[in-house]
Parts: sequence; C-alpha cells; structure tokens
Amino acid sequence: MTALLELRNVVAGYGAARILHDLNLSIGEGERVSVIGRNGVGKTTIVNTLLGTSRFMGGEVLYRGRALPKIAGHTAATCGIAVVPQGRKILPNLTVAENLRLGAALGRKGRWTIDEIYRLFPILHERRNSSGTALSGGQQQMIAIGRALMANPDLLILDEPCEGLAPVIVDEISAIFKNLAATGVGILLIEQHLNLVREITDRFYVISKGSVVRSGHVASVSQHDLQTSIMQ
Amino acid sequence: MLTNALNGLVYGSLLFVLSSGLVLVYGLRRVVNFSHGALYMLGAYIGYSIALRYGFTAGVLAGGIALGLVGIVLDLLVFRNLSDRNPLVTVIVTFGVFLVLEDIVKSVWGTQNYTLDPPAALAGVVEIGGNPFPAYRLFIIGASFLMAMILVVWLKFGRTGLFVRAASVDPSVAAMCGVRTDLLGPAVVGLGAAFAGFSGIIAAPFLSLHPAMGSEILVLSFVVSVIGGLGSFVGAFVSAMLLGQMQAFGTVYMPELASLLPFLLMSFILIWRPQGLGGRSA
Ligand SMILES: Nc1ncnc2c1ncn2[C@@H]1O[C@H](COP(=O)(O)OP(=O)(O)OP(=O)(O)O)[C@@H](O)[C@H]1O
Ligand SMILES: [Mg+2]
Repeated sequence: MTALLELRNVVAGYGAARILHDLNLSIGEGERVSVIGRNGVGKTTIVNTLLGTSRFMGGEVLYRGRALPKIAGHTAATCGIAVVPQGRKILPNLTVAENLRLGAALGRKGRWTIDEIYRLFPILHERRNSSGTALSGGQQQMIAIGRALMANPDLLILDEPCEGLAPVIVDEISAIFKNLAATGVGILLIEQHLNLVREITDRFYVISKGSVVRSGHVASVSQHDLQTSIMQ
Repeated sequence: MLTNALNGLVYGSLLFVLSSGLVLVYGLRRVVNFSHGALYMLGAYIGYSIALRYGFTAGVLAGGIALGLVGIVLDLLVFRNLSDRNPLVTVIVTFGVFLVLEDIVKSVWGTQNYTLDPPAALAGVVEIGGNPFPAYRLFIIGASFLMAMILVVWLKFGRTGLFVRAASVDPSVAAMCGVRTDLLGPAVVGLGAAFAGFSGIIAAPFLSLHPAMGSEILVLSFVVSVIGGLGSFVGAFVSAMLLGQMQAFGTVYMPELASLLPFLLMSFILIWRPQGLGGRSA
C-alpha cells in the first residue's frame, strides 16, 4: 500500500545550516503516528519542510506515491494536510470566526463546518467576534485546532499541541484528540510528553540531531524505554 | 461656506480613494509605493485619450483596467522582490518607477495641459443651500464613496478579502491554510493601481491634466497615509477628509499658506501620535 505521505532521505534547514539529515518517515492513510525527540532536534523543521518555510536541500517528499516537484506554502493544504502549528499562530487582526474560516480556504467539504467546531468548542462560539489573540492560551489552541479541522483534512499535523497549557486544559484537549482519533483522520503528533503519544498514536519515530534514530509500534515498547530513547 | 465644505469633501474623497490604493499595497507588501502618483497620472491620461474617442464611461473603465494591468506587471517585476528589503531601497526603487512612468506620460502626451469636459449628463449645476454646485463634483463624492464601500465590504466580508487580511499579517499562516499567497500579491497591487487609475480619470474633469499632477498628488496622498497611520483605512479616511477640508478652506482664507498646511498638519499629528491616527503603536 502506498503511503499518504512519505519523506525519503530529506535534507533541509535554514540558510546554510542543515537541520534534517537524510530523514525518512512515512504515514499511511488514516494512520496515527508520533514524532518524538528533545528540544531543537528538528521536529518543527519537518513541518516547516512540508510548509515550504525551511530550505529544502535534498531527498523527496511523496504524496500518495508521487514525488512533489516543488513545495510551496499552500502545497500541504492542497494535499489535504492541515497543521496545528507550534505556537498556535492565531492572527491578531482576525476575529475568532475569521481565523476559523481561514482554515476552510480551500473549501474541502466534509464533516467539519463552523457549526461543528462551535459544538466542539462552545467557548469559541461565545467569543466568535473577539480578536483571535484576545483569548487565553488554551482557547487559542482551540482556535488553532478548529482552524485545522475546518480544512476537513486527510492528515492532521499537531506540533506540541499541549505546550504551555495548564494541566486541566491539557486534559480537555487530550480528550478531544482521542475523539478525533476515532473519526479516522490521519494524525502526525509531535510531542515530548509520552502520555498523549501512547493514548492517540500507534507508531512512533524518535528523532535525534535531524535523523530518525528509532521507530516502532507504541504498544511494543514500555513508557520507560521510550523515555530513555528520547534522552540519548 | 457650505460650498467650501463640499469642495473639501470632493477633494477629500478623491484623496481617500487614491490613498486606499497605497494602504492596500502597504498592508500586504509592506512597500510604501512612491510610484503611486504616477499611476494616478497614467490613469488620467489613458482615460482621457479613451474618453475623447469612446466617451467618458469607456474612459473611466479604461483608466482603471489599464492601471490594474500595470499594477500586476509592477508587482511581478518590482514589488515582489521588495517585500523584505530595507525601506530605503523601496523608496529609491519605487521612486525610480515613478520617474520612468512620468517620463513615459510626457513623451506620449507632451507637456501641455489638457482639460476633459465632464459627460453631458453631469455637466450641469445643482442648487445646494441656495448656491449652485457643479453636478460633476457630486458625482466624484458619490463614486469615491461607492469605491471605498466596495473595498471595505470586500475586505471585511469577502472570502478573498479575508485571505488578503490574513496574508497581510502572516503570509505563511495564510499559505498553510491553502491560500495562494503568490497570486495575492499581483492581485492586490493590481487593485491598488486600479484605484489610482480610477481616481486619476475621475479627477480629470475637476483638476485638469498636466505633467506635474503625479508629483503633486503623490505628496498629498503620502501625507494622508502617514497621518492616517500606514496600513490603516480608517486613519486614511479621517486624514483624507481633514486634508480635503484644509485644502478647500485654506485656499479661500489663507491662500499664501494653503500649500504648507498639509505638512504642518502632518508635523503636528506625528509629534502627538508618531504612529499616525489609525496606526498601532509599534
Ligand atoms: N527559522 C529558523 N531559522 C534558523 N534556524 C532555525 C529556525 N527555526 C529553527 N531553527 C534551528 O533549527 C534547529 C531545529 O529546530 P526545530 O524548531 O525544528 O526543533 P524542534 O525539535 O521543533 O524543537 P522544540 O521541541 O523546541 O520545538 C534548532 O537548532 C533551531 O535553533
Ligand atoms: Mg518544535
């Protein structure tokens, strides 16, 4: 079976600096995979490579078995890939509702409409006319998730979605991810905290210094084992 | 008195339509477009030539559409490469474009003055508060407000208007959501230039055409944008109206100072609010 998305020997970085070295990673249709690793190993750079915001220096990115000739800013979105970026990236000059509508820029139809997002996060409906950045960190993360879902994606990339959030909010958002996982959408979860990794993904890749150093099935390794492989 | 205020409104609304083109381009590209005055002038001359042959309506459309195309070309050749540059480079390059366009106008149309008669339907006068007022000037006010409304409604409620606002703040987030930000630049600069072209041809029967019209209006629309706070439509609206009134009353009550007034106003406002009326403090 051809993968939905595959990175083959990808080399990428910023300016002259190489951050990713011969990185290999693949994710099948509807599959849930996590990418784990310490700070600064290049996890977000993988996302940036798919979004055309880091410099692509070699290798291939394949979408449904076909190499993408050139990756521009909108390429991932047109391939049905939506991103909840690290740091959320909510636009301050747009209202909550407008930030959400931006997610539907390509107009792909599916189960997610703005009303469905409001049903998932009632607070966003209440605050729909406020500036997106006037909301709390947890609520902004809800906007970022809602914006990504509005694209009705085949693959949802979550880059450290719980970073900087209070524990109660983390629990709330984790519960939502678990429900999302059950809808069959593909998920690529970038995390440093392994509880969420175990709860919603089946396979993992450990990244160190820009390459995959270990991969496997989450169920076949102990939490302690995973933790130590991140640390090496 | 009322006539003065109305003349100020005519002038102010022209300035606003012109400046909204500047604001639009600055918002997306972060480029202060010093060639904007030349676009206004080119729109007026092209519209003039077409209006003589095919009538006023055709002239207005031609001025807007031709300048829209010029704007698209300008973005692809020039502005696209200026987005991340030092502001000084931007000033020099766009001012260079200004000089080139101005010279093109001079070599095609010569250096003499032209006057364009308003279309017959708008050639008369209307009585307002007991005083006669040229109908064409009312048309300028109406047309300018219509264009401004279309722009604001599109930006606030339109799908692509949302994309433009998003890309103005963070193009990479807009692109991440699937917006073709590479196409947005030419479209927006084209629209800004079309607004300059429209205001040029609409102003033609009111202000006449001459080779210095571009630089005169450039300075004023630049003052409008600076007072308004670069990138703010509301600010540009308020300052265009202020400047229009100053121009109208200034030329009547203190003619020797009138041409200085815009700059005095700009200095005072910038001392009081360095970010301009509608600008966010940095
Ligand atoms: N825009 C950039 N320009 C230059 N260097 C960058 C840029 N973004 C990241 N880097 C560098 O690339 C390396 C990898 O960064 P990256 O953001 O991919 O790490 P990460 O694994 O996502 O870390 P974290 O867990 O902290 O988010 C770091 O050394 C970082 O300093
Ligand atoms: Mg990161």
